[in-house]
Amino acid sequence: MLVLDDVRFSHGANGTPYRFSMSAAPGEVTAISGPSGSGKSTLLDLIAGFLRPSSGAIKLDGVDLLPPRPERRPLSILFQSDAVFDHLSAGANVALGLPRNTPRAERGGAVSRALADMGLAGLERQRASTLSGGQKQRVALARTLLRDKPLLLLDEPFSALDDENRARMRALIARLTAERGWTTILVSHHEDDIAALARQTYAIRDGELVPSTMAAP
Amino acid sequence: MPPSAERLSRPYRPFRLAAGAGLSLAILGLVILVLSSILRAAGAEGESAALRVDIPHLLRMSAIQAGLSTALSLFVGLLIAWALNRLRFFGRDLVIALFATAIVTPGVVVAFGLLTIWGRNGWINRTLEALLDTGIGNPIFGLGGILLAHVTLNGAFAARILLARLDAIPAARLKTGQSLGLGAFERFRIIDWPMLRGTLPGLGAIIFLLCFTSFPIVLLLGGGPANQTLEVAIYSAVRLDFDLRGAVVLALVQIIVCSGIILATTALSPVPASTGPSRAQTWADGTMARLLQWLVLGLGLGAFALPLIVVIVDGLGPGLGRVIASSSFWSAAIASVAIGLASATLTLALALALGLGRAAATDRWLKLVLGLPAFAYLAVPAIVLALGFFLFVRDMGVSPTRAAPIVLVLANALLALPFAIATLGPPLEALASSRGRLIRALDIGGFRQFQLLEWPLLARDMGVVFALAFCFSLGDLGVISLFGTDSFSTLPLLMVRALGAYRTNDAAVIAALILLLTLFAFLALPRLFAWIANARSR
Repeated sequence: MLVLDDVRFSHGANGTPYRFSMSAAPGEVTAISGPSGSGKSTLLDLIAGFLRPSSGAIKLDGVDLLPPRPERRPLSILFQSDAVFDHLSAGANVALGLPRNTPRAERGGAVSRALADMGLAGLERQRASTLSGGQKQRVALARTLLRDKPLLLLDEPFSALDDENRARMRALIARLTAERGWTTILVSHHEDDIAALARQTYAIRDGELVPSTMAAP
Repeated sequence: MPPSAERLSRPYRPFRLAAGAGLSLAILGLVILVLSSILRAAGAEGESAALRVDIPHLLRMSAIQAGLSTALSLFVGLLIAWALNRLRFFGRDLVIALFATAIVTPGVVVAFGLLTIWGRNGWINRTLEALLDTGIGNPIFGLGGILLAHVTLNGAFAARILLARLDAIPAARLKTGQSLGLGAFERFRIIDWPMLRGTLPGLGAIIFLLCFTSFPIVLLLGGGPANQTLEVAIYSAVRLDFDLRGAVVLALVQIIVCSGIILATTALSPVPASTGPSRAQTWADGTMARLLQWLVLGLGLGAFALPLIVVIVDGLGPGLGRVIASSSFWSAAIASVAIGLASATLTLALALALGLGRAAATDRWLKLVLGLPAFAYLAVPAIVLALGFFLFVRDMGVSPTRAAPIVLVLANALLALPFAIATLGPPLEALASSRGRLIRALDIGGFRQFQLLEWPLLARDMGVVFALAFCFSLGDLGVISLFGTDSFSTLPLLMVRALGAYRTNDAAVIAALILLLTLFAFLALPRLFAWIANARSR
C-alpha cells in the first residue's frame, strides 16, 4: 500500500503550493488525472525522489520512502519523454532494466522476451534512434516492467501508441500488476486508459488530490 | 534544508566529485608551487642587478600588436564566415575543415611558411628577380610580419567559430527573412549580426590573449627587440642575456596582465569550443553579394592555405632524404611524438576527471573550484610556467635537462587543458542534466554510466581533445626553448636551430613534417576514437 500523507511542495516561493494525500492498493492501478500543468508529473517526481517535499510522509507498505536516494527506492518509473537512450540498441536499452547480477547467458533471452511482449520481436539490435515514437515508448515500457519493483510509476505511458498497441499494453500492465502485486500509479490525460485500467482515480484540482469517479468497474 | 530538485535529478557521484576536486586542487597547488619559485627567485635576486628590460615599451608594443591582430582577425574571420555561410559549392566541407585546422597549426610553421613566401630568398623575391631583376626586400620582419602571421592563423580560427554561430540561426528566422525578400545587407544586419555580436567580445579576448602571449611567431618574425612580446623577452632574458631577475619581473608582469584579461573575459559570453558540422544555406544572396563572397573566400583561402602549401612543397624537396637520415632528426621526432602522446593522455585524463566531476556537482562553489584549472593556465602562460618549472627544478638540485621530459609533458598538458575542458565540459554537463533522472531511475552506476553513455556519445569529442593536446605539444616552442639542450630537442626546436644555422632546407623539411603530422593527427584521431567507440557498441 502506497500512502501519501499531507505531502506539501512548491516550485519556489511563487510556485503553486501542492498538498497531496492519497493511498493506492497493491495489485491495482491507481490513476491520476488532471489538465496540463496541474502537477501530475510533480506528484510522480515526489514519489520517485526527484523532488523533496517540504513536509508530509510517503510510505510504501509502512516503510518510509523519503530517506533513500531516487536510485535506492523500490520503484520503477516510465518518463513521458526522453525515456530511451537513442545511441543504444533497443536490446541494450531494455537490458538496463535487468538486475545487475543477471547471468550473461540469461540476459539475451530475458531481453528478447520483454521485447516480444511489446510486439517488438527481432528488434534487439536496432538502434533506438531509428525507431518510431511508439516503438521507443514500448522499448522504455519493456525496460520499466522488467525492473519488477513493487511500485510502478507510469507517466503518460501510451501517448505515442496506436489503438491496437494501446489495448495490448493496457492488458499487459493490468495482468502484471495483478499477478505480481505491484502498486501501479498511472498518470494520464486519456479517460479511456483510466477507465480500462484504474480501480481508483484521483484528479488534481488547485494543487490537491481529489478522489474521482472515472475508474474501471 | 531539503536538497534541491537539481541535486536530486543528477546522478549521485561522490567519487567523481572527490576525484575532480582533488585534481583541481593538485593543479592549483602545482601552479602555486611554480609561481612561488618565481617569486622566491625574484626575492633572492633582489636589487643585486639593475633591471635591463624596458617593461613599459614591451607592454606598449605587445598591446599594440595584439590589439591590431585581434581587430584584423575578427574582421577577416567575419568576412570569411559570412562567405562560407552563404556559398554552396563542391568541396565546401573540405574548405571548412581546412579553416578548422587553424587552431592546431603550429605558429612556428606558419611563420616559416610566410618567410618562404615573403622572405629575402622567398618565392616573391625570387620570382621578381627572375622576371624584373628587382625585389621587395625583406618586408616580413617586424610588426607587419607578425600581424600577417597572427591574422592568417586567428582569422581562420575566428571564421570557424563565427560560422558555427551563423549555422545556429533558426531555420524559421531564415524563412521569414527570405519571405520578406531581405537584401544581402539587410539580411546581415537583421538576421546575422544579432547572432554574431554576442560572441565577438569573448572571441576577441581569446585572440588578444593568444597574440599578446605569442611566442614562436614573434621570435621568428619580430625582427629584433623593437617588436618583442613579454614571452620572447622572458626567453631572451633567460637564454640569451642570462638576466634571471629581468625574466622573473617580466613573468610577474605577464601573469598580472593575463589574469586581468581573463577576469575581464569571464564577464563576456563564453565562446563555444565545439563547432560540429556545417550545413550549406539554401537562401542565396544577390549576384553582387555573391561575387564579393567568392572574392573574400578566394583571398581568405589563399592567405591561409598558401603558407601551408609552400611549407609542404619546399619541405618535401631535395633535403628530405638528408634530414630523415640524421640521428638528431629521429631523436627529436621520437621525443616530440612521445611527449605529445603522453601530454595528450594526461590532458584527456585531467579534462575527463574535471568535466565528470563538474557535471556531477550542483553546488556553485564546487563547480567553481572544478573549473579553476582552466583559468589557471591561461593566466600563467607557457613560457612563464616553463620558467617557474626551470627555477623549481634548479632549486631542488635537479638538472633542468633531466627534468625536461616530465616538465614538457606537464606544461603541454596544462596548456591544452582550457581547450579540453571547453570541448568536453558542455556535453558532459548537458548529459548529466538532461538524462540525470533516467540514469538515477535505472540505478546506473558511475562506471556503467561512462561505459554506456559518456564514452559512446562523446568518443569523438574525446578524440578532438586528444588530438588538440597532441598537436599543441607537437608545435610547442615555448617550453622546450627553456629546457632544450644539444642532446635533448623536439622538432620545432630542431627547426629553429636549423634556421639559426642558415640550414634553410633542413628547416623546411622539418616544418613540412611537423605540419603533416599535425594535420594527420588532428583529422585522424577524432575519427579513430569514434571508430573504436562504434566498434565496441556493435
